[in-house]
Amino acid sequence: MKVQKQLYRKNFSLIITFLVLISVSLIVGLMLAYNLTVKNVENEFASKKIDVLDQTIGPYNNFFQNKIPQISFYQGFLDSGSVSKYADTLLSDFPFIERIVFYDTGISNHPIMDGIRVNNFSMGPKAVYQFALGIPKDSIVLFKNSNPNTLSLNAGDEFNKMAVKFAGFIESADTSSALSGEDVFNISYSINSKRITYMNIPRTEDLRIFKDLMFNDQALSPVYEQDLITFYLDPNKLKIRNPHPELYKNIEIKPLVYESLENTPEEISTETPLPGAFADYKLYLSSPRGFLTREINTRFLPVAISLLSIYVVLIVIAYLIFRNLNINSKMFKLQYDFINNLTHEFKTPVSVIKIAGNNIRSASQLTDKERSHYGKILDEEADKLNDMMNKLLSFTQIENRAIVLKEEQIDLEVFCQNLVDAYQIRHPNFNIHYKIDGVTKFKSDPVLLGSIFQNLIDNAFKYSSSEAKELEIAIRKLRKNIVFRFTDKGIGIPGHELVNIFKKFYRIQSQYNQQGSVGLGLAFCKELVNFMNGTITVKSKEGKGSEFRIELPYES
Amino acid sequence: MNFFNIRLCFLAIVFCVSCSAEKETRSIPVEDFFKNPEKTAFSISPDGEYISYLQPYHDRLNIFVQTTDGKNVVRLTSDTSQNIAYYFWANNKEILYLRNAGNDSDLGLFAVKKDGTDNRKLIEYQNSKIGLITPKAYNNNILVSLNMRDSTVFDAYRMNITTGKLSLLVRNPGNITEFYADSSGELRLALTSDGVDETLIYRETEKDDFRPVVKNNFKTSINFLGFSKDSCIYILTNKNRDKKALVELNCNTGKEHQELYSNPQVDVSEGSYSRSKNKMVFAGYESWKKERHYLDNDTRDMYERLEELLPDTEIKITDQDSSESKFIIRTFTDRNPGTYYLYNIEDNQLKKLGDINSSIKQNEMAPMKPVSYKSRDGLTINGYLTLPLNMPEKNLPVVVLPHGGPSFRNSWGYNSEVQFLANRGYAVFQMNFRGSTGYGKSFWIAGFKEWGGKIQNDITDGVKWLISKEIADPKRIAIYGASFGGFSALHGLCFNSELYACGASYSGLTNLFTYLKGIPPYYKPYQQMYFEMVGDPEKDADYFRDTSPIFHTDKIKVPVLIAQGTKDPRVNVNETNQFVKELKKRKMPVTYILKENERHFFKKPENRIEFYQQLEKFLDGNLNKN
Repeated sequence: MKVQKQLYRKNFSLIITFLVLISVSLIVGLMLAYNLTVKNVENEFASKKIDVLDQTIGPYNNFFQNKIPQISFYQGFLDSGSVSKYADTLLSDFPFIERIVFYDTGISNHPIMDGIRVNNFSMGPKAVYQFALGIPKDSIVLFKNSNPNTLSLNAGDEFNKMAVKFAGFIESADTSSALSGEDVFNISYSINSKRITYMNIPRTEDLRIFKDLMFNDQALSPVYEQDLITFYLDPNKLKIRNPHPELYKNIEIKPLVYESLENTPEEISTETPLPGAFADYKLYLSSPRGFLTREINTRFLPVAISLLSIYVVLIVIAYLIFRNLNINSKMFKLQYDFINNLTHEFKTPVSVIKIAGNNIRSASQLTDKERSHYGKILDEEADKLNDMMNKLLSFTQIENRAIVLKEEQIDLEVFCQNLVDAYQIRHPNFNIHYKIDGVTKFKSDPVLLGSIFQNLIDNAFKYSSSEAKELEIAIRKLRKNIVFRFTDKGIGIPGHELVNIFKKFYRIQSQYNQQGSVGLGLAFCKELVNFMNGTITVKSKEGKGSEFRIELPYES
Repeated sequence: MNFFNIRLCFLAIVFCVSCSAEKETRSIPVEDFFKNPEKTAFSISPDGEYISYLQPYHDRLNIFVQTTDGKNVVRLTSDTSQNIAYYFWANNKEILYLRNAGNDSDLGLFAVKKDGTDNRKLIEYQNSKIGLITPKAYNNNILVSLNMRDSTVFDAYRMNITTGKLSLLVRNPGNITEFYADSSGELRLALTSDGVDETLIYRETEKDDFRPVVKNNFKTSINFLGFSKDSCIYILTNKNRDKKALVELNCNTGKEHQELYSNPQVDVSEGSYSRSKNKMVFAGYESWKKERHYLDNDTRDMYERLEELLPDTEIKITDQDSSESKFIIRTFTDRNPGTYYLYNIEDNQLKKLGDINSSIKQNEMAPMKPVSYKSRDGLTINGYLTLPLNMPEKNLPVVVLPHGGPSFRNSWGYNSEVQFLANRGYAVFQMNFRGSTGYGKSFWIAGFKEWGGKIQNDITDGVKWLISKEIADPKRIAIYGASFGGFSALHGLCFNSELYACGASYSGLTNLFTYLKGIPPYYKPYQQMYFEMVGDPEKDADYFRDTSPIFHTDKIKVPVLIAQGTKDPRVNVNETNQFVKELKKRKMPVTYILKENERHFFKKPENRIEFYQQLEKFLDGNLNKN
């Protein structure tokens, strides 16, 4: 018989291609992931400096946007006492403020000694105070207009700049409309390197009055109060906050022109200028190459692990598919053997029937002896065929649980005796004994139980040498079960085959089963026993014999 | 047939639902509360033959005249650019009027005949303000005050209303703030002021020189009411006493001639002077509501007859003819904005002229009840509580409504804002905290330098009292106010944040420094007065900083609504912006209504309506959560 190749095939090249392909994918994936990680880290190194800047400059922005405009809330009414309180909180909250100078300013049309005068418009400090942490009390007052002409150029520098700017604005101001945001910024702020000067925002009415003072001769006016405050800042006191310690090892505040002298390729750096009054300075951020490599590796590791685990899962799945295929191919082989055997089994009786038929037809006359001989042959061979077909049928029925148990009380003594008698008539040299202990009756389906007995007895006969055809059947009750033990002195079963003998279509290759065996017997028995909620086990020694043990639930 | 039945059932259900809904309070549209009256400023001609009033014509208020029987309506003016701000009958034939000063162009004093002819400009002066000393002509002349010579000083002139010719009557040396004429149109009395201290000056005739009569500090007041005989004048004053009294003052001696009436509880708030009788006919005072003490039997009789004709309502005479026989009367209650009537004393007949706001139904308005409580330091604080209709008087959501000023008082009467809030289901709580006027000098002065102090305590104590009475649901209290009331609201949110679920400030002061900066420094005495009332921004800088909300935005923990006009002269819009900015930075929910070209109070009707709609939404979102 020729096995059709396309029915079942194992293609090892396919498997290998698959393995190679996923391995290549893995390697490519790992390489890509690594490159991406490198790029990602490098990009972040360049871009996350904004976060560092934001966090570092945060207090400055708070100071600039919230604390400085508060001066305007006082509407020029600040005096040395209230400024001192204001300054103290600022100096302790914002360490980058080095010194605060407060110009208590008066605007009038009086002639003044200190300050500036444009036409009749005079703007001069009434007093100048400075505040800083830990300065001696006697150096707080820098100037009082009770001592005119004592305002030093240095102390008056910021004031003069603002006053000139303000006078210029007044000169050309359109006092009929409200101040725009831009005007407010121009008048009130002066931002220089490390210095911010702020003057409280004058109201539109004030501007009108100031313009009047400048261009019209009037009697001595009252003195209008303005507050002017200069903050001296130290960029080096800015507290550097590094939200990305994994990217930046060193962060420093450096002058804008600074460049690292140790321009080694081992160190990579980036920089970002500081805003506002710190515009002459920059944040200089650097990390050694190795520092970044470590970060790259830390980020790459989880990616690599997940890629590898996907790879492992794929391999496992591939193995499982391969194993299933393998089992299926074994099954296929078994079925093929079965068909082979079955054909063989059927072939013998069929050819005997055919020969007998031929003989009957070719003989011109049949003697009585001949007729009965042929009749017997035909009858026996037909019985054999029938028996085989029944076995097949009932096996499939049991497998599909398509039969119903027809239980009745079985007298074990009678049951065994009948079987033994039947065998001894057929095989006079077959020596069967039975022994029943402690039980007489058993409720079960006699047909199924008979099938089990027949199969096991058949096997014992079949797999025994002609001089040792012996079988001992022992039946006894064990607790709630009934145990049937079939012990023969046959050829035995090799240890490695013990696991297979209950499988369908499985046959041990030996001289004893050259004909008339389909490998269904024990599988059939096992199905029956399982069907009857029992168990079947086997113990065997090669060359010495086997013992089959069946345990069925005893119901009485 | 079946279908028809179903529809009948449906109709019945709808009908039932609408029936039951009518027992609920109807939510009256915002527009109905805040709409302008159709006809206003009713006035009667001196001969009592004609009634005049202002009525919109092409969306601008113009003058209309009709005969007293309501016929022969004539529109006198056709101004489509500006409202008529003020008008009066100069005599039986002519009406003089001022145009609205809101727009700078084409101001002036105008005259028109009662039949609408001869409409002419009497004084055309773009940059001056016109003050009327006598809203009535004597011998074809009226007295006006103008600042032509010097923009800061008003001189008094006598003007011929036919020709518009001006003749200088009193050259103001610079300190006169008010001029008063007697019943024959002679200018005999004036008030001088250095900003704080006032002096009443008097002359026997226009040929004499003025002599000082009496001097008083800004803490005391003198209100001129009318001339009596023998060089005496009627004034309201609290000089030498705590509560204002109606007093007759001898201008020659400067001594009080007699006290006509005073009330032990409250100030005398008004005096009604009869030109025909040349005497005071009643003194008005305001306890929980306005009341009259009669000084003249005829007047008492007239009011009693009026009260019979108009029961269950308050009565106020707004104008009268020169013979005092025909009167224009306005009625009002807490639940009714009121109606104008013409009353003829001879036949005791009333004729309805027009409703103030016909959209308001009295039975849908909530009554305003006077209440009082003790502050933590034992002062009795009077106030008003308006409870929403058809709601149990328990666990109500409350809107606390502190008044502005603070030199002001809440009065009993129809208040569209209060009624609007009550209609939306809120109890409205108003209180006359210390510093309010009307309860005497010492109560008023008790509020000095306490803007962020005891005044606020009085408000807080009131809210706690309302909670202890179980009227207020302590979780659903809002505080809302305008101007100084807005300051109080923001102050409450900053310093009593646990008390309020939300707050709204309408042109509220945020910064006392800014408020004081608004006082021009060239008026030193005036500045001193404010320093005394509010505080000295240099000496009291700590107190100012500690109580001004702008320094304490970080303490606000509940939603805030802020409304502000960009041209508000009293509140610096930059600061309000800063205030809102800081709240927003702290992720506090802020509703900010900023209106271009609006001043301290929104003038444009659509802006006002929008404000109240936003306020309604804001309160609804923050007080009606459960």
